[in-house]
Amino acid sequence: MKGQKRKLPPEDEEVSDRSSPFWESQRQFVFSVSLNKYQRGQELPEPSLRRSVLIANTLRQVSMEACRAPSVDMEVSQPQCSSSSALQESFLTAAAIHQSSVMFANSHSALTSCPLVSLNYLSNCATNRSPASCHSSASNTPLSVKDDDEDWGSMSMDPDFSLSAAISSILSALDSTIDASPQAAPRTPLRSLENLSAPSEGGAAWMKQGGRGYGGSWEQQEEYGPRESSVEVMRSSYLSDLTVEDLFQDIDTSLLERDMGVLGLIGNGGGYPAGDDLLRYLPPFPSSSSYSSSSPQHPFSLSLNQNLKCLPSFSSFSPLSSSPSFSPSPSFSGQSHMREGLELEHLMEILVES
Amino acid sequence: STGVAGGNDFQWCFSQVKGAIDEDVAEADIISTVEFNYSGELLATGDKGGRVVIFQHEQESKNRPHLRGEYNVYSTFQSHEPEFDYLKSLEIEEKINKIRWLPQQNAAHFLLSTNDKTIKLWKISERDKRAEGYNLKDEDGRLRDPFRITSLRVPVLMPMDLMVEASPRRIFANAHTYHINSISVNSDHETYLSADDLRINLWHLEITDRSFIFEEPEDPSSRSFFSEIISSISDVKFSHSGRYMMTRDYLSVKVWDLNMENRPVETYQVHEYLRSKLCSLYENDCIFDKFECCWNGSDSAIMTGSYNNFFRMFDRNTRRDITLEASRESSKPRATLKPRKVSTGGKRKKDEISVDSLDFNKKILHTAWHPKDNVIAVAATNNLYIFQDKIN
Repeated sequence: MKGQKRKLPPEDEEVSDRSSPFWESQRQFVFSVSLNKYQRGQELPEPSLRRSVLIANTLRQVSMEACRAPSVDMEVSQPQCSSSSALQESFLTAAAIHQSSVMFANSHSALTSCPLVSLNYLSNCATNRSPASCHSSASNTPLSVKDDDEDWGSMSMDPDFSLSAAISSILSALDSTIDASPQAAPRTPLRSLENLSAPSEGGAAWMKQGGRGYGGSWEQQEEYGPRESSVEVMRSSYLSDLTVEDLFQDIDTSLLERDMGVLGLIGNGGGYPAGDDLLRYLPPFPSSSSYSSSSPQHPFSLSLNQNLKCLPSFSSFSPLSSSPSFSPSPSFSGQSHMREGLELEHLMEILVES
Repeated sequence: STGVAGGNDFQWCFSQVKGAIDEDVAEADIISTVEFNYSGELLATGDKGGRVVIFQHEQESKNRPHLRGEYNVYSTFQSHEPEFDYLKSLEIEEKINKIRWLPQQNAAHFLLSTNDKTIKLWKISERDKRAEGYNLKDEDGRLRDPFRITSLRVPVLMPMDLMVEASPRRIFANAHTYHINSISVNSDHETYLSADDLRINLWHLEITDRSFIFEEPEDPSSRSFFSEIISSISDVKFSHSGRYMMTRDYLSVKVWDLNMENRPVETYQVHEYLRSKLCSLYENDCIFDKFECCWNGSDSAIMTGSYNNFFRMFDRNTRRDITLEASRESSKPRATLKPRKVSTGGKRKKDEISVDSLDFNKKILHTAWHPKDNVIAVAATNNLYIFQDKIN
C-alpha cells in the first residue's frame, strides 16, 4: 500500500451504506477487481480453493447487488437497474463465470460434462431487451419480451428477479462443478512407503525426469493448456466416439514386430516385457494424425492386450540401454509402479468411456 | 513462570535472530512454518525451499546463569523436493506448509512435515558413538583378509562427534486433491489428521460419530462486500487444556469454549484500523493472507501476527494487549522490546506509526510459543526471531 496509486474515490473509507453516493462506484470497483481476479485465478492450473471460492462469492454478491433496490430511494435505483451497464455487467459476470466453470472443471478432472446448454440460454437472454425474458432458469426458451413500459420498480423488487436467478443458477452450476470434479477422478492414495532405506528424493527426481521425458507427447494437456476450454470440449467429444479397439485398430504394427524381433524381445523371453517398449512406439496422444495407418514411424504391437489394462505405467519404463532419458530408481517400490499404471489406466478409461 | 503477557511487571526482550541480514531475500529462505516440540527443547522451521532446520535449546551455562540458554542449529535436512505431477502437468512446490512434532517415546525425535501434496514422517536420531575394532574390516572400512585374522576381539563403542541424522520413515502421498494446509497429531500418538481446503484425511484413526459446528451469527450492521472474506478462518488451535479453541480470521482472534458453539467467549481485535482499508487490501491480495495464532503454555495468553513485522499478544486474564515488532533495529542482546502503536486518529503521536505507513510486505504469519516457558519464535519472512522474558 505504500506509494500505491489509488483508483478509488478520495474517500477510501469503505462504504456500507447503500444510499451513499460512493457506494455504487465502490461496488463497481469491487466488481471489476473481483472479475479480474476470478478470471486470472481460473487460468492457473491449480487455483487455490479457498481463494477461488471467496472471490467467486464476492463476485456473485456484488453483481447481485447491482439490481437490488436500496431501502431508501427508488428513483435513484431504477436508472441503475435499467442502465445497460448494470445489465451488461451481470451478463458479463454470468458468461465469464460460466466459461470459467468450463475451464475450471476441465483442469480438475480429465473430462466433465460441460453445461453447454446454459451458454445458449444466456445468449438468448442477451438478445432480448428485457431481463424479464430470462426469468425461470428451468426452461431454455425465452419468454415473450415484455414491454419497455413495464414497471421496473416492481420487477426489481421481485426476489426472484430474473437476472439474479440466472446468475444464481449458473453460479450454483459452478459450485456443483467444483464440488463434483475432485470426485470425478479420485486418485488411489499411495500407501505409505515403509522402511525406506534411502531418501525418497531420488525417487521423486526420477518421477520428474520420467514426466518430462514423455510429458510432451503423452500429456496433451500441457499443449492445450487450461485456457483453451473449447479445444478440450472438442477433444472429449471426439474421443467419445471411439472404442478402445478403434484407437489402435489401424496402426501398422509390422515394423514394431520386426524391431522387437531384432532386439530379441519377442518369443524368447528377452529381458524386458513387451509392454515396456510400448511407450517408445506409442503415437502422441490423442492427436488425430497419428491414427492413420500410414505412419510407419509409430508402429504398434497388437500382440498386447487391447483393453489397455496392460498399458505400462511411466514408472515401468525399464532402462533400456538405448534410452538415456531414464534412470532406474532402486528405492521405488513396485507399489508405486502399480499406482502410476492404475492412474494412467483410469485416465484412459475416462477418456474412452465418456 | 506462568506466562503472563503485557502488563507493567512483564517485559519481552530480544534473544536471538537467525537468518541472513541481506535486504535481498532469497525466495527459498522464506520461513513457512515454525513449531516447538513438546518439551520446548527443539524448535523446527520449514522454508519455501523444502528444508527443515531444527534448533536445539542449549543448557544455561554455569558461568552466566542469568542468561537463558540459546537455540542453536541441531539438524538441517532437505525434507521435500519439487515434484512434477505429470497427469496435471504441474510442478508441486517443495515449500513446507506445516511441521508437527510427535511426542517423544524414545531417544529419537519424530516429526511430520508436509508440502502441498506429500506428508513425510522423519526420524531424527543422534549418533555419538561408533563401534571400533571390527574383526572383518579395517578402521577405514576395507575388508580384511579372513586368513590373516588370528584372534577375535569384541568391538568397542568409542565416542565420536555428535552426528544428527534425519531419515524419512514414512511417506504419505497423493491423498489430497487440494493443497494440504495443516496436520495435527492426535493425543493417542498413533494417528494424525491432514487437511486441505476441502477435506480432512484421517490416518489410522477410529472414527468419531460426533461433530460440532462453531459459528457466530453475522452482525448485519457491519455487513460489507468483504464480510465473507474477512470472516474466513485462517487458523484454528486447541488450547493446551483442551477446553478452548481459538480461531483467527482476517481482523480478529476469537476464543471459543468447546461447550458452547453459538458464539465465542472472547474476541480480540488484531488490527481493526484495517477495516476501512479493505478495498485496497482486496485489490493487492493482502486480504487473503493467512495469519496463524498460538496459545502460551498456560493458555492465559494468545499471540498472532500482523503487518509491518508487528505481532500482537493478548492476556486473557488482565485483558491487556501489546504490539511488538520483530526488527533488526531492536535486535541487540537482551534489549527490551518497546511496545508499538498504530495511530488511528488524525493526530499521530510521537513513536506511533500511521496506517498508511505500514509495510504490507512485512507480514508475520507464523509464530510459536514455547509450551512451558516465556520464549517465543516469530518468523518474519526469512528471519526467525526468538524472544524471551526478561529474567530479573
